[in-house]
Amino acid sequence: MANFTLDVNNQSLKVDVDPDTPLLWVLRDELELKGTKFGCGKALCGACTVHFNGNAVRSCSLPVSAATKGKITTIEGLSSDGSHPLQQAWVELDVPQCGYCQVGQIMSAAALLQRKKNPTDDDINSAMSGNLCRCGTYVRIREAIKLAAKKGGKS
Amino acid sequence: MINFDPLKQESNADVQLSRRDFVKLSSLASLGLFVGANLVTGKLAKGNALLADSFGPSVFISIPKEGKITIMAKNPEIGQGVKTSLPQIIAEELELRWDQIQVEQAPLDRRFGAQFAGGSTAVKTNYTTLRQAGAGAREMLIEAAARKWNVPLNKCFAKEGVVYQRDTQLKFTYNELAETASHLELRENPPLKDPKDFTLIGKAIGGVDNQKIVSGKAEFGLDARPKGMLVASVERCPVFGGKVKSIDDSAALKIAGVEKVIKIEPTPDPTRLVAGVAVIAKNTWTAMKGRRALKIEWELPEGAAETDETLQSHFEKNINSNGEILRNDGDVDAAWSNCKKVHEAVYEAPFLAHAPMEPMNYIADVRADGADLWGPTQVPGSAMGLAAAITGLTPDKIKVRMTRVGGGFGRRLMADYACEAIYLSKELGKPVQVVWTREDDMQHDFYRPNGMFKMKAGLDASNKLAAWHIKASTTSRYAFRGSSDPSYKTEVFPDGFPAGFVPNFKMEYLPVASKVPRGAWRAPGHNITAWLDQSFIDEMAHLAAKDPIEFRLELLGDEDKEMPYEDHGGPFYKTSRLKNVIKLAAEKSNWKTPPPKGVFRGFAAHFMFGAYVAEVVSIYMKDSNTIKVENVVAACDCGTVINRSGALNQIQGGIIDGLSATLNGAIHIENGKVKEGNFDGYKLMRMNEAPSIEVHLVESTESPEGLGEMSLPTVSAALCNAIFAATGKRVRKLPVNLTEETKL
Repeated sequence: MANFTLDVNNQSLKVDVDPDTPLLWVLRDELELKGTKFGCGKALCGACTVHFNGNAVRSCSLPVSAATKGKITTIEGLSSDGSHPLQQAWVELDVPQCGYCQVGQIMSAAALLQRKKNPTDDDINSAMSGNLCRCGTYVRIREAIKLAAKKGGKS
Repeated sequence: MINFDPLKQESNADVQLSRRDFVKLSSLASLGLFVGANLVTGKLAKGNALLADSFGPSVFISIPKEGKITIMAKNPEIGQGVKTSLPQIIAEELELRWDQIQVEQAPLDRRFGAQFAGGSTAVKTNYTTLRQAGAGAREMLIEAAARKWNVPLNKCFAKEGVVYQRDTQLKFTYNELAETASHLELRENPPLKDPKDFTLIGKAIGGVDNQKIVSGKAEFGLDARPKGMLVASVERCPVFGGKVKSIDDSAALKIAGVEKVIKIEPTPDPTRLVAGVAVIAKNTWTAMKGRRALKIEWELPEGAAETDETLQSHFEKNINSNGEILRNDGDVDAAWSNCKKVHEAVYEAPFLAHAPMEPMNYIADVRADGADLWGPTQVPGSAMGLAAAITGLTPDKIKVRMTRVGGGFGRRLMADYACEAIYLSKELGKPVQVVWTREDDMQHDFYRPNGMFKMKAGLDASNKLAAWHIKASTTSRYAFRGSSDPSYKTEVFPDGFPAGFVPNFKMEYLPVASKVPRGAWRAPGHNITAWLDQSFIDEMAHLAAKDPIEFRLELLGDEDKEMPYEDHGGPFYKTSRLKNVIKLAAEKSNWKTPPPKGVFRGFAAHFMFGAYVAEVVSIYMKDSNTIKVENVVAACDCGTVINRSGALNQIQGGIIDGLSATLNGAIHIENGKVKEGNFDGYKLMRMNEAPSIEVHLVESTESPEGLGEMSLPTVSAALCNAIFAATGKRVRKLPVNLTEETKL
């Protein structure tokens, strides 16, 4: 066990965990930030996507010991009230089915819109192909990203 | 033994409540003792009661004196949209705007009737009862207003949560009427609205939890956290049917945070508990770490050497033997000599994993005086029944709460992972959450049965189908769970098209035994038979040198018929509706106009579970072996549509799921265990591979059908037929592999 200080959603938070604990489980089990989901544990599905210094990363494969030197943003910090343009677009277009992967999808899309205000289909493909949706909501996810981009993109 | 079949829930005596138990259970429910709706007979029971501050005309509805009206969502929400669509039906008859209500997930409670997610049945089986629940409440509110005004009932009408007196300015809100209404008798058979007056049914309504989902606040099974909860990670015998021989848990127990190691003995019924060793820890990562530190020796069962090849050899033997004859029209064997052209081909379909995004998990808090259960399941009733069996507690002592379910696809019709949690909590005397890894999920699933199918058909002198013979052999899921129903059930469908349209038609079946667990996988049976039938019809159309759509329409004939259909979705299907979706898909895809250069199309149509679907898949070839699915056009007749947005979402999702399985889905068995472990080995369709999808719903006033499964089976054949159009190669073995040689 060891102490770590993490910058999560602009808050400095202390945890006492094993250094090899993936950030995902620190968020979920220690900090009770349960919006970030467990899907595969091997960075293959994207359900656990968070932002690390503004980049989309898979928190299931980032040990806590490597996460101390950067700003972590989870879905709980993307907006205080679920009003990020992507969150609004997701609701407007009724994207979710089971909904389990959608937080990861939104976090990947948010990182994309930070880089590209008006992403092309190819941009969306390359930014979003790390995120699986078993229910197959890809058609609506694509539309929702475009809608959010049209409405101003960044939060 | 609990052999759950959602379509036979009544016969599955998971919870046999005595009258006394029922009263006790009722008093536990959050809404107090209100009117129960008997969903089996569709009748609303009499009587009502007033809770301190709300009018509860039935268990589904609570109208407070102030504030929003609550409608209960009775069934598990697995992504099929019932948490929205079922309350939508109630709100329609109750004359409410959607923004006037809030939806709450019901707990497991017998008064809600059957509560499960399976067979795409929720909308279909609850439609009338939920309309009656809404209409009954509406009539009581109207009566309450009439009494207050002392005017006849027909002077009053309800609209948007208000009862108005005709030709006056007088009105009462439902809130204002709650108390008076609660003293009234519920009317039997309340009048239902004329569908032309619907304001909610048929409209697009966003999912009730969407805002929570996009904010990370929706509670899935994995997010439920009762106080003092421990986490368990279970190492299961990788070879199906094995046992624990010895455990060395010394290293695991040295890890800080690991509390206990518990051995799990397998139950005789493999759908409950399989052999394993559970590491219980204070959090998830520690439990997983502890588990990796275990040293376990397994005692392997007979048949540990089961592999794809051994199964293959059984299939091959079977399709060259005589099977059980399931249908025999005319005389197939005599017909071949009269056929001008005869064609034969062997098709093969692999095991598939469900792989829902939320890995299996379940929470149980078993105490001496009762138990609480939380978790993602399609069958909360089974979880309760199993908890009663494992703990010895009576059902009234067991509370089952439903969280959102991160995908079902049939996997969570099995409650094996709930059994683990219940057993471990009982042993520990503490609340415990069992968390499966993705590898656990991939390697301990109840897989879509695999199979081999010998197809043979003949054309007469006018190039019409004169004979059709299918010999099917699969690892039957009914056989796996020891069902009293025959093995072929939900593997093949003796009444499915083209049966009944070919004068000489024979269907034979032989099961293959295997230790590999099998279960229902979205559109069970149909996910193979639609591919087989609709691929082979395409082969025959090609042989007849006819347009594949024209060939099907010709077979269906000009006369409209009701074809007897004994499986789920029957008792018959209408050829007029099947022809209609075929024509609609043809029209919307401009089938008669050749596609742009380099684009190739395939067609398929199928009836299942009461709905009719036709699809056109357009592809292009990235190179000679790589396919890109460009677009799918779907025409669907599911009767009355409840939630237009939800309906389109289900159809789109089913198409992606079907394409994904067809292009990549396969579970391989090696030395008695599953080879694939995670999404690197078991590939799912991703954003960059997803096509555009265009859905056309038939406007219909026919009774509503579900939609969770129906768009999936058709797309496999439509895709494979497009591949034939592009490459001249027939895909007869799934998943698609164009580098393999196929015989034409």
